[in-house]
Amino acid sequence: MRLPAVPCRDKMKEENSKQPSLDVGDGAAIPTRSDRGLFTAWRIAFFGAIATLIYLAATRPDPYLNILKFIPDGILVTFKVTIGSILLALVIGLFTGLGRVARNKFINGAASLYVEVIRGIPLLVQLFYIYYALGRIIHVPDILSAIIAMAVCYGAYMGEIVRAGIQSIPNGQIEAALSLGMNRRQTMIHVVLPQAVKVILPPFGNEFIALLKDSSLVSILAVADLLRRGREFASESFTYFETYTVIALVYLIITLFFSKIIGIMEERASVNR
Amino acid sequence: MKVRRLMAALMMCASLVMVTHGTASAAKAVKTVTIATDATWPPMEMVDAGKNIVGFDIDYMNAVAKEAGFKIVYKNTAWDGIFAGLASGNYDAIVSSVTITDERKKQYDFSDPYINIGQILVVPKTQKNVKSLADLKGRKVGAQIGTTGAFEVKKVAGVELKTYDEVGLAFEDMAAGRIFGVVCDEPTAAHYALQKQEYKAKFMIVGKTFTQESYGVCVQKGNKELTELFNKGIKAVKAKKIDEKLRKKWLR
Repeated sequence: MRLPAVPCRDKMKEENSKQPSLDVGDGAAIPTRSDRGLFTAWRIAFFGAIATLIYLAATRPDPYLNILKFIPDGILVTFKVTIGSILLALVIGLFTGLGRVARNKFINGAASLYVEVIRGIPLLVQLFYIYYALGRIIHVPDILSAIIAMAVCYGAYMGEIVRAGIQSIPNGQIEAALSLGMNRRQTMIHVVLPQAVKVILPPFGNEFIALLKDSSLVSILAVADLLRRGREFASESFTYFETYTVIALVYLIITLFFSKIIGIMEERASVNR
Repeated sequence: MKVRRLMAALMMCASLVMVTHGTASAAKAVKTVTIATDATWPPMEMVDAGKNIVGFDIDYMNAVAKEAGFKIVYKNTAWDGIFAGLASGNYDAIVSSVTITDERKKQYDFSDPYINIGQILVVPKTQKNVKSLADLKGRKVGAQIGTTGAFEVKKVAGVELKTYDEVGLAFEDMAAGRIFGVVCDEPTAAHYALQKQEYKAKFMIVGKTFTQESYGVCVQKGNKELTELFNKGIKAVKAKKIDEKLRKKWLR
């Protein structure tokens, strides 16, 4: 499931005493404060993966060390694509989310249509479509086209998270702001959005991890990311099993690393509440 | 439940009969060889409007099969991983414009060469002063992943290789202006640069082929029986000059 289960407004009123939170389980399980054991799944997976990689590279440098030497620029491209698309998706998502709650029928309709169309098409198909469609219209470098394609897709999902976050803010807050003499725009900027950010943060982190993993799809667009580099190595040396073992482990390490960072960030954010 | 059990028992009996029957008559019956091909490499192997796999290689192998007396089942397989599939026994052989190289020979066995071709460079028509790959230093040049074309681009220092899953995607990317050259087998280059309506006006072929390569049928290491079978057929096809007819039919 990509979309967070969003408490609807009526339910919100009932549970007004509780802080709203959006729970999605798309990333890796991160040890929480209550789960202080040394052997959590996260620790075993993370350190296990690193240890396995080091062991393989040390005991069988050919091909494992050669693979590791071949892929670093691919990791860099994976990061570039991920970070570029998450930032662009955030911008698109913010506008889409605002559009989805807008009163203006045209803006609301346009944002809803965008979300509906994008969510109805598989990411892989979209990537192909946007990449080669963009090529016909404007000349942009390949990595930028990949970023745009990923961002257009993830923007729709991000938009739904922003909308859910905005709608999770109790109506009383808006009424209070309006009664203080703020207009709707001021209410949104100074009252609703700052509170929504905290609610949006956890699912945003999840989207980041999901996007990091999905960025492997851009390898079909001939973007030289981590997976592509691995495939290039395997296609020349015929070491398919060995190469994909390394690629899988590297992805696992990166994903777990970022899951942990996001987990820490979420913990900090919830302390401030 | 009972009916199901009965059915299962019946099916097991049937399959047993089939297995024993199969082994008993294998020597007499016509042998079936499963061949993997990446049908995205026109005019050597491609999928036509009727979803059939056609092309020079396909006609050639059909003739080989007829001469050597076996049957072929084609399996359309993506190029990236086609060798891995052979190693794990998903099919018996690869006929997909596979160049016989020393690296591949280390891992797999090949039949005798059945056609000689070479790599050639295709560039946009605007690149008038490009005479060879070396003139594209600092530029991106595309090729299909794991092909000899890609290996050739990699050899030239300063030229950035961009690998594609299918050669058609490389040509489309060149039409979009993202890369400045594509290296592939000469027949395929000719198909895209000279015959395809939408690319004819945009691309041109640079000079002549700059490598000498031969296609062979790729089989698992040590599969002598199959290699000999293909060699027998290829010899007969060449003797009867069927290959020259096919050349006229599919190649310029």
